[in-house]
Amino acid sequence: MNKLILLLGLIFSNLSFASAANEELNYTAIIMFVLFVGVTLFITYWASKKTHTAKSFYTAGGNITGFQNGLAISGDFMSAASFLGISGLVYLSGFDGLIYSIGFLIGWPIILLLIAEPLRNLGKYSFSDVVSFRLKQKPIRILAACGSLSTVILYLIAQMVGAGKLIEILFGLPYYSAVMIVGGLMISYVTFGGMLATTWVQIIKAVLLLSGATLMAFLVLYQFEFNFNQFFSEAVNVHSKGKNIMAPGGLISDPVSAISLGLALMFGTAGLPHILMRFFTVPDAVEARKSVVYATGFIGYFYILTFIIGFGAIVLVSNNPVYLNDSGSLIGNNNMAAIHLSHAVGGDILLGFISAVAFATILAVVSGLTLAGASAISHDLYANAFLIGRNDERKEMKISKLATIFLGVLAVFLGIIFEEQNVAFMVGLAFAIAATTNFPILILSIYWKNLTTRGAVIGGSAGLFTAILLVILGPVVWVDIFGNNEAFFPYKYPALFSMIVTFVGIWLFSMTDKSKNSKVEKKLFESQYFRSQTGVGIDKPNAH
Amino acid sequence: MQIRNTKEIYQQLKEARTKILIPLILLTITSYFSFIWVIAFNPNFFSILIFDTNISIGIFLGFLLILLIFLITLIYVYFANKILEPLINKIKKK
Repeated sequence: MNKLILLLGLIFSNLSFASAANEELNYTAIIMFVLFVGVTLFITYWASKKTHTAKSFYTAGGNITGFQNGLAISGDFMSAASFLGISGLVYLSGFDGLIYSIGFLIGWPIILLLIAEPLRNLGKYSFSDVVSFRLKQKPIRILAACGSLSTVILYLIAQMVGAGKLIEILFGLPYYSAVMIVGGLMISYVTFGGMLATTWVQIIKAVLLLSGATLMAFLVLYQFEFNFNQFFSEAVNVHSKGKNIMAPGGLISDPVSAISLGLALMFGTAGLPHILMRFFTVPDAVEARKSVVYATGFIGYFYILTFIIGFGAIVLVSNNPVYLNDSGSLIGNNNMAAIHLSHAVGGDILLGFISAVAFATILAVVSGLTLAGASAISHDLYANAFLIGRNDERKEMKISKLATIFLGVLAVFLGIIFEEQNVAFMVGLAFAIAATTNFPILILSIYWKNLTTRGAVIGGSAGLFTAILLVILGPVVWVDIFGNNEAFFPYKYPALFSMIVTFVGIWLFSMTDKSKNSKVEKKLFESQYFRSQTGVGIDKPNAH
Repeated sequence: MQIRNTKEIYQQLKEARTKILIPLILLTITSYFSFIWVIAFNPNFFSILIFDTNISIGIFLGFLLILLIFLITLIYVYFANKILEPLINKIKKK
């Protein structure tokens, strides 16, 4: 706890809370932010007293309800990047923002229909438990951990750099201190409070973000007396692209990119380790089911709000000189559209509230990511891949705390290294890897009898390798970052190709696998399938 | 006798689940990829304004798709609770 107090001191001494639109101190932001940090640290303290076993560390004891988990899942999903990024994209080009929103949402029915219940019925702490249920522990755990860790680290870098920049603009804090504060708080939440604290931080943030966004959308539409036609007409009149903002712009230009991006978004969600991990916090498959419905509802509603907020910014911010710099573009950048709009409709108070919520959002999302990464290191690699049968849970928990600190420090370090880089492609790559490695091995291990360890390991790693290679050779890294003239691989999104490599690889090397081991694995399928469908044999949640 | 009974219920459960899942999965995939398809091949279709308003077909259908996605999850949970859950509970009791 001393560390926490030290950290609070650090924050107070460092924050200057000058807001973007006006350079005075924004007291609402300070009060809101301090309140949020205070409450979440109190929750962490409370959670630390209940977190003694590995089970409570990874799954909050399995006692979270479907409704709570639905909120926490939507919290994981509604990152500052999607709140500010999508409303910024809508502000910039209108309709195109909707393509992303729908892509992020479409993964949820897939998770509900194919993954949620078997996942809960077969796993204990992480999705690798499911994949290694009948396959060989060591190689499968290593592969799943590689998939998880690359997804988590890419996602973390993108969030960290975004966070640093955002806090720099919002509060006038130096980039380095911003990244370090985020890292420090995140390490405290996760190491002391585990999944229980992380879940409640996520729930509080989800409620704050949903209410803040609702209020903003309400205030925008209120100015148009809730007449959508008038609202959109005004936006078309004001925007430099005119009526083009009502139709697809340049985001997707050819069919291959369209399908490739579509696949990555649709199946990537179903392979994100920090999302999949949430399903082990509920007691059974019934609650897992419920949590997806709540999450889908909240996330869908949230995307409708960001769309209204983006259009609101077109109407109320883009033509107001207070929010523009000399060249006529937004102060900060386009991602500040929602922040400026909060000031335009609600003055300093709403600006302060929304800024504090954006900060809280970053903290909550990086905490969830770090926890998932730590479990891949401690549960998959340490306890199950290298120490099969020789581990004890206390030691595993100690390792996961060390892994959390390691990942937190790594995230801060990478956040500083990548400060000046374009990190937008990293979330895309994370989704592509999740769709290419994690999702296929998970879904096939649940539904395909003939999957063998050899097939999963060869196919899964070939896909992982292909996805990374195609992104490096593609236009985003090879041309934009390395500065070459032409890309070896012409498309921005690799998922279509890398997923084919994975599925063909898995099929080929499973079908030709004649080892003794593979026969046992096929034989075990029936009993695994029975358990995945019925939940007979799953762990009971901790008693209260 | 009891073992055979469990098997029968399990068989029933698998069939019922398939019947619920297949139409919903098809609906999810086709609705999404048709949306993406129009964006890739015929983006102008989405710029047509509906009725006498300034709201385009693209935005209208986009909102509708968000609603449909939520509806799919609701429909599944309705049938899962009504049809699948009683069968699962019967198996658990054995």
